[in-house]
Amino acid sequence: MPDTTGTAKMEEYDIVVIGSGPAGATTAWYAAKNGLRVLLTDKKQELGAPVQCSGAVSHNALEQAGVLPAAEFIHEAIYGFAIYNATGEKKVIDYRNIKPDEYGSGEGCKPLGYVVDRRRFDRYLTTQAERAGTTIWLKTEAMGYRVLDNGSCEVDFRKFNEAVTVNAKVVVGADGVQSQVGKWAGIKTHIKLSELASCLQFVVDGVATDGLLEIVTGHKWAPGGYAWVFPKGYGYAEIGLGITKTMCTANAQDYLDHFLKNSFFKERFKNCRIIEIQGGGVPLAAPLKTQYADNLILVGDAARHVNSITGGGIHTALGSGKIAGEFLAALIKSGKPATAENLKGYHDNWLKAMGNNMWKLYNVKRKIFDTADVVQRDEQLYATMSNYFSPESEYKKI
Amino acid sequence: MKTKQPVVFEIGWNACIKCGACVAVCPQEAGFTTPFDTIAVNTPCDIACMFCEAVCPVSTITHTLLNTALSSKS
Repeated sequence: MPDTTGTAKMEEYDIVVIGSGPAGATTAWYAAKNGLRVLLTDKKQELGAPVQCSGAVSHNALEQAGVLPAAEFIHEAIYGFAIYNATGEKKVIDYRNIKPDEYGSGEGCKPLGYVVDRRRFDRYLTTQAERAGTTIWLKTEAMGYRVLDNGSCEVDFRKFNEAVTVNAKVVVGADGVQSQVGKWAGIKTHIKLSELASCLQFVVDGVATDGLLEIVTGHKWAPGGYAWVFPKGYGYAEIGLGITKTMCTANAQDYLDHFLKNSFFKERFKNCRIIEIQGGGVPLAAPLKTQYADNLILVGDAARHVNSITGGGIHTALGSGKIAGEFLAALIKSGKPATAENLKGYHDNWLKAMGNNMWKLYNVKRKIFDTADVVQRDEQLYATMSNYFSPESEYKKI
Repeated sequence: MKTKQPVVFEIGWNACIKCGACVAVCPQEAGFTTPFDTIAVNTPCDIACMFCEAVCPVSTITHTLLNTALSSKS
């Protein structure tokens, strides 16, 4: 029943998480599981929509985050990769052949990874958070925060058009590549034009796939990025690409049209029918050097926790969410204030667990795309992508 | 196109896929957005770096110079 007395008490939480994608929901889940009072908010009415992601994630990533692969969110199992150069020469890395006792669809074997339905995956993770005790508010847009003298903060929301303010010890910005939360604290979160991949993909019918993530390199198809064909389950596929706009003049839509009509796959694509159109900005940037401020941390895309080589962000979002949730639970239970100095511990834990490797990947990516000669750059990208997915890759867990 | 004169952005909503890329590259302070994950419309932008227009995967962001927008209104 609505409060009509004018004496409604401001709601208090240990942490408020803004954005219920994989990073935010996982942060909320692990924080609640470890005993914190958690509010998870999202401005959307439907989680995971509009889809801005291809949905590829490794089995290992789910396992590390404690997410059981479930039919509820899996479109299709993946067993390996096919990497193409600009002319169609390919290197196939099929773990069904490389490690037949470990990977496959048979008994005792597992997939290497999955293409997930982001709408259902995000809802699944949010459900885990909710079942662990998290309060969920949808249609709730975060407007700003204020640090208070008592060591806590207030966060302003607009929830179904009503102004609402809550008190919390920590705000977690998990508001994606277009993060505004970091800006509240003066953290420069915007991404250089040269480091954001402009991505577009079509979900199509009529293109056969074989359990492999197919990656097409080459400046002529996707300057500053790559094109892909991913299995999407039930006979569907995703055909997409990401480009870097400082390396070309046309837009992603033009390049995707060019790829469909003129690439070495044109015969394969000629009868495809477009069922859905999706797109997103993928940060191929270095992780933020500072991912914390007084009473505030950033996770996932908001902190640029994205693999700069593959553009993958689900694994890194789940990983950083788990690290953040567990760290915040320990900090708040210790009674220490949520100052920037104390929240730096989250950043340090993240660097140790995955961040240092992400910095290495960023430097590899930068070296490739700083190469001015297109032929050399194409060769470097093809070789790097081929090595990246091989069983010997030092980065395969990232 | 780069211009340092203040501009007002317009978005062709029919083509916009709400991908957020324009907001991701925008150096404006917090809040220069719409509820649809795009940069603000009908609000002057004095930075005018045009990165939002450049990054849009479907080229659906355009702009009018602020002076032109004001004179056409008056």
